[in-house]
Amino acid sequence: MRLTVWGNWVMHEMYLTECIIDSVKKSLPKKISPDAVTEVQVQVGELDAVIPETLIFLFDAIKGSHGLPKAKLTVDQVPVRCRCQSCGNEFRVDSPLFICPSCQSGSVELLSGRGMILTRIIADEE
Amino acid sequence: MEIPVIRDILEESNARARENRELFDRHGVFVVNMMSSPGSGKTSILMKTIPLLRQQGVSCAVIEGDITTSIDSQRLQPLGIPVVQANTEPFGGDCHVGSHLVQGALKYLDLHAIKLLFIENIGNLVCPAEFYLGEDCKVVVLSLTEGEDKPLKYPLMFRECRLCLLSKIDLSPYLDIKIGELQSNIYSVNGKMEIIPLSAKSGDGISIWVDWLLSQMNRKT
Repeated sequence: MRLTVWGNWVMHEMYLTECIIDSVKKSLPKKISPDAVTEVQVQVGELDAVIPETLIFLFDAIKGSHGLPKAKLTVDQVPVRCRCQSCGNEFRVDSPLFICPSCQSGSVELLSGRGMILTRIIADEE
Repeated sequence: MEIPVIRDILEESNARARENRELFDRHGVFVVNMMSSPGSGKTSILMKTIPLLRQQGVSCAVIEGDITTSIDSQRLQPLGIPVVQANTEPFGGDCHVGSHLVQGALKYLDLHAIKLLFIENIGNLVCPAEFYLGEDCKVVVLSLTEGEDKPLKYPLMFRECRLCLLSKIDLSPYLDIKIGELQSNIYSVNGKMEIIPLSAKSGDGISIWVDWLLSQMNRKT
C-alpha cells in the first residue's frame, strides 16, 4: 500500500486575506506597531478570481485577531490590458475575448490585470 | 504616516513554489498541474495515461488534491505508483492546491525515483488557476458535458494553461454541444492554447496526450 494522506486547513479567499495581513506586517518599519495601522490599500487584477467586497468582508472579520484592529482595507481593481504580438497594438480587455481589435490576432500578451499587490499602508504616528 | 510599499501579496506562496520548482529541476522531474471542474475525468485520464507512460519507461507519481476523502487516490492504487493524497479540509472545506500543500506532500515522495509528477488539483475552474505551484505546465481538462461557454466564464483558467484536454468525446453523439464553437471560445481566451480531444473510456486521443507529455519532457532535459 503506497497511499499517503496529508492534510491542511486552508480556504481560498481567507488565505488571500491572511496573505494581505502578512504582507502588511512584513512591510512595517520596526518602530510601527501593527495596531497603529489605519489604512491598507491593495491592487487586484480584474482577471484574478477575487471579489473586492469579499476580501474587505474577510479582512474586517479577522483583522482584530491578527493585531490590526483599526485597519481599513481598500481594493483597487486593475484593468486588463494586452499587447498584440502580431501588430503591436495595445488594448483594454473588458470581456473574455483576448483578440486584437486591430488585426484579429489571438496572439496577445498580458500587460496588466493579473496579480495582487500591496500598494499603501497608513499608520498613526507613535 | 504613509508607508510606501510595493509587495506581491502572494510573495510567500510564490517563494514556496520556486522552492518546489528548484527541487523538481534538481531531480529532473517534469511536473504537470492538472485542473478542471469536478467530474471532468482527470482521474480517469490518469488511469489510462500512466500505464502508457510506464511502457515508455517513464516513472510517474501523483499528488492527489481533494477537499476531503481519498477516493481518487484509492482509484489510482492499482497502478502501483506513489500517490500522495493532499486534503485541504477533512470536513468539506476549500478549494485549491497551494504551493505549501505540494511542499508538504513532497516529503512523502522519493523524487529520485520519479520522472513525471502529476498534481491533480481540486475540481474547480476558479481558484486553482490563481496559484503557481512550481509546475512545468498547467493543463485544463474540459469535458464535452460542460458546454461551449466555460472558457468564456473562466478566462483566467484558460489563459493560464498551455494545453486543454477536451474529454469525454465518446459522448459527442449524445450531446447537443457544438465542438467548433467550444474550440473557438477557447481560442478567444487563449489563441496559443493547444487542444487534444480524448476519451478515457474509449482510449481515443490518449496516445496523442502521452506523446505531448513525452515531447514536453524532452524539451526540459
